[in-house]
Amino acid sequence: MPAAPPFDPQAISDAKFEERAVRPGVTTKRTICQTCDIACSVVAEVEKGRVVKIRSSDNPIFRDNICMKGIMAPKGLADPTRIMKPLKRVGKRGSGEWEEVSWDEAITDIGERLKTIIEKHGPEAWTVSTSQWNTATDHGLGRRIMNHVGSPNWISGVALCAGNTAAVNRFTYGWFPMGDYANTKCIVLMGHNPRRHSWTPMYNFIRQAQARGAKLIVTDPRRSSSAERADIWLPLKAGSDAAMMLGWLKVILDEELYDKKFVKNWTIGFDDLRKRVDEYPLERVAKLTGCDPEMIAKAARMYATDGPSIIPWTPITDMQRNSTSGIRLQSILRSVCGYIDVPGGERLEGFNPDIINESAIEMHHLLSDEQKAKQLGSDKHPAFTYRGQEVFREPTKRVYGQEYANLIMGCHMATPSATFRAMAGQGPYPVKAFFFLGNNPMMSYANMPLIIEAMMNQDLIVAHEHFMIPSAQLADYVLPGDSWLERPWLMDSFGWMSSVRPSEKAMEPPGECKSTFEFWKLIAGALDKPELVPWDTLEDFYDYRLEKTGMTFDQLVKKTDIYFAPPKFRQYEQKGFATPSGKVELKSSILEELGFDPLPYFREDPPVDPKYPLKLFTGVREDGFFQTGHRHIPEMRKRHPAPLVFVSPGTAEQFQVEEDEWVEVENELGKISIKVAIKDAMPDGLIRIPHGWWKPEMKQGTGHLSGALKYADAQLCRDDEDYLDREQGIPHLKGVPCRINRVKQSEQSDAPASEMEPAE
Amino acid sequence: MSINEKLLRKRERSAALMLWMAKRSSYNKSLLDKACRWAVNRATTLPPEEDFLRDPLIDSDEGFDADELDRYQRGEISKIL
Repeated sequence: MPAAPPFDPQAISDAKFEERAVRPGVTTKRTICQTCDIACSVVAEVEKGRVVKIRSSDNPIFRDNICMKGIMAPKGLADPTRIMKPLKRVGKRGSGEWEEVSWDEAITDIGERLKTIIEKHGPEAWTVSTSQWNTATDHGLGRRIMNHVGSPNWISGVALCAGNTAAVNRFTYGWFPMGDYANTKCIVLMGHNPRRHSWTPMYNFIRQAQARGAKLIVTDPRRSSSAERADIWLPLKAGSDAAMMLGWLKVILDEELYDKKFVKNWTIGFDDLRKRVDEYPLERVAKLTGCDPEMIAKAARMYATDGPSIIPWTPITDMQRNSTSGIRLQSILRSVCGYIDVPGGERLEGFNPDIINESAIEMHHLLSDEQKAKQLGSDKHPAFTYRGQEVFREPTKRVYGQEYANLIMGCHMATPSATFRAMAGQGPYPVKAFFFLGNNPMMSYANMPLIIEAMMNQDLIVAHEHFMIPSAQLADYVLPGDSWLERPWLMDSFGWMSSVRPSEKAMEPPGECKSTFEFWKLIAGALDKPELVPWDTLEDFYDYRLEKTGMTFDQLVKKTDIYFAPPKFRQYEQKGFATPSGKVELKSSILEELGFDPLPYFREDPPVDPKYPLKLFTGVREDGFFQTGHRHIPEMRKRHPAPLVFVSPGTAEQFQVEEDEWVEVENELGKISIKVAIKDAMPDGLIRIPHGWWKPEMKQGTGHLSGALKYADAQLCRDDEDYLDREQGIPHLKGVPCRINRVKQSEQSDAPASEMEPAE
Repeated sequence: MSINEKLLRKRERSAALMLWMAKRSSYNKSLLDKACRWAVNRATTLPPEEDFLRDPLIDSDEGFDADELDRYQRGEISKIL
């Protein structure tokens, strides 16, 4: 019999949960790591005014949420190549000739040139690319200024990563839900593979849930580490997520495993959905996905009967030519099985009523209908543009108290491919000014050759950055950005969840580095609109946002690591869902109105060109890097000295390539150099390449771009209509035709592939 | 109210209690806060042999020396051990 737990009040009061011991002369700050996009609560140890160590939080709810990227941050951000002063281009664009200027000089010139462009071409000629995940202190101020000026052309990497998922989830039930990992009984990972050093909190949640007895279903062409731990692994063909879920629905509906009461009371379009699902018998789904029909049925039954289940957000379904249907099918599965807004299922949290949220700061209501109609890409691919989302104004106000909910920044974006075409002179009107912040646009969207052409066609390019990244090498100005160690932050989950977390400033920014908040404040002033950012400091801005809590930012920091309202479940019973019908729309009235199929479907791949017999899976991260970042950190490069293409033993034999051999991967758009790593976990016919490779030590400027022209996967990411999702216009990155070319061995790397970090 | 609905409401109360404890645990000021932190800590701690988050790279990290970081940033040294 286990011993009774000790419950001595004095022992509890004295317990050392507050802070771990630190060395003399060291102070601590509770911060939120922004080395990647997951935002782990951590502690910064500060000595002599400098952060010397990052460790995990003392709060047990954030236990051990830290990874190798986080602990290397003090060194990575002290790198001698970090940009400390504003740089102005003095040679030709991309020549690499710069001079240091003052912030005043830079901002005055930027303001004048931007005003001239707006006067000549209209406000829509100004586009901004950022994610806010990376810049953090943007808080919607960029959109606020753009909305006042009149430009709808804001683009972001969230167009193909989470933001688009949020926008498409709204079509079904009006919000983007968050899975309740603590209470769930079944987790479905659709190609996502959180690990100890990548998406650490999710890895932690999933392992904790499994330890508690929760089931794990993984759909992934590769035998990932999550697949190895799963109760069911479905090794589907890359890009066939939507077909798989249509198969699951077929089983769930045929066997009546759905929540009949919820479907009857709270959904519309069930009969139409049923007819569509009947078009996908398991034999057909098995053919489309390459999986055993019995296993498909078993997984569907597990999801529907072992719940409450969750399907956490996955970047894999986000990046497919059937992405809208895939995301819709995830929403529909959650709904028909009764997992919406219940414990262990997926909660529609809504805004935190005590915080002024970023959607409100952005002031989308001020942008005229005429300017909204000019948003690039909204004519052909409107799903996440103003055109696709405007209909939510009334229902969102009814349920969540305000008209605009820019969840994960993804609900009012221009379409990236259409924007770059316009920048390159191939659009409906000229786009001549391009700002990018904490973002490496050249390598972060599809069709890198087009993006380079677009950038070379600009009159003004402004980068706010830490390092001379490939995109910055083509800028007119590179302005030095601060880092997460050097500023406070109010993390509000970008409107998606109702919790808020404060992060303390741990050290002063080096040189003349400034926050994104300060950047936008200066830009507002340069455009003669200083009233748009009236707060003197970031802390003042946060005090304004927190006013309803009765606390200042400093008081919030002292009080807690996380601020949230008590959870509420089944809120739809009071106000309905934030859709036009007030119900879960299994058949989407909005998609129908926009001229698309209102029901989910699966569009099969175009015929295969025999010149490109392999399928390419890209967008995958290595543990030591986030997106295109961290290539400058020696410890990370030692782990991943070179980009690796993962091939199966069968594919290696078919193409007669060997481990450690440098090869070219080529498709109709371009080719890259990459080193072979033979992996048993890969299926035949599919190769995997990592995202975002460049080498900071290589030659800068046009024609080189620090190795980006040699290694970057964006050169293979097509954005022609065959490989774009119809409704969103986002690219298909999971299963693009390609081939491997053998080449003369001219490059050596520091270590054989077998000794490199076993990235997945 | 059906048995399922009763179970659902029970699960809702339990989930709300967990979040309330997480909230108090984060305050960590009063005796009640500390009791919550103690309970959360106990509930989330695994025996070392089962702790999937133990990692030598993280567990043995000692951080950096402030003076060395300064010199590194100024380009005076190329490596920090």
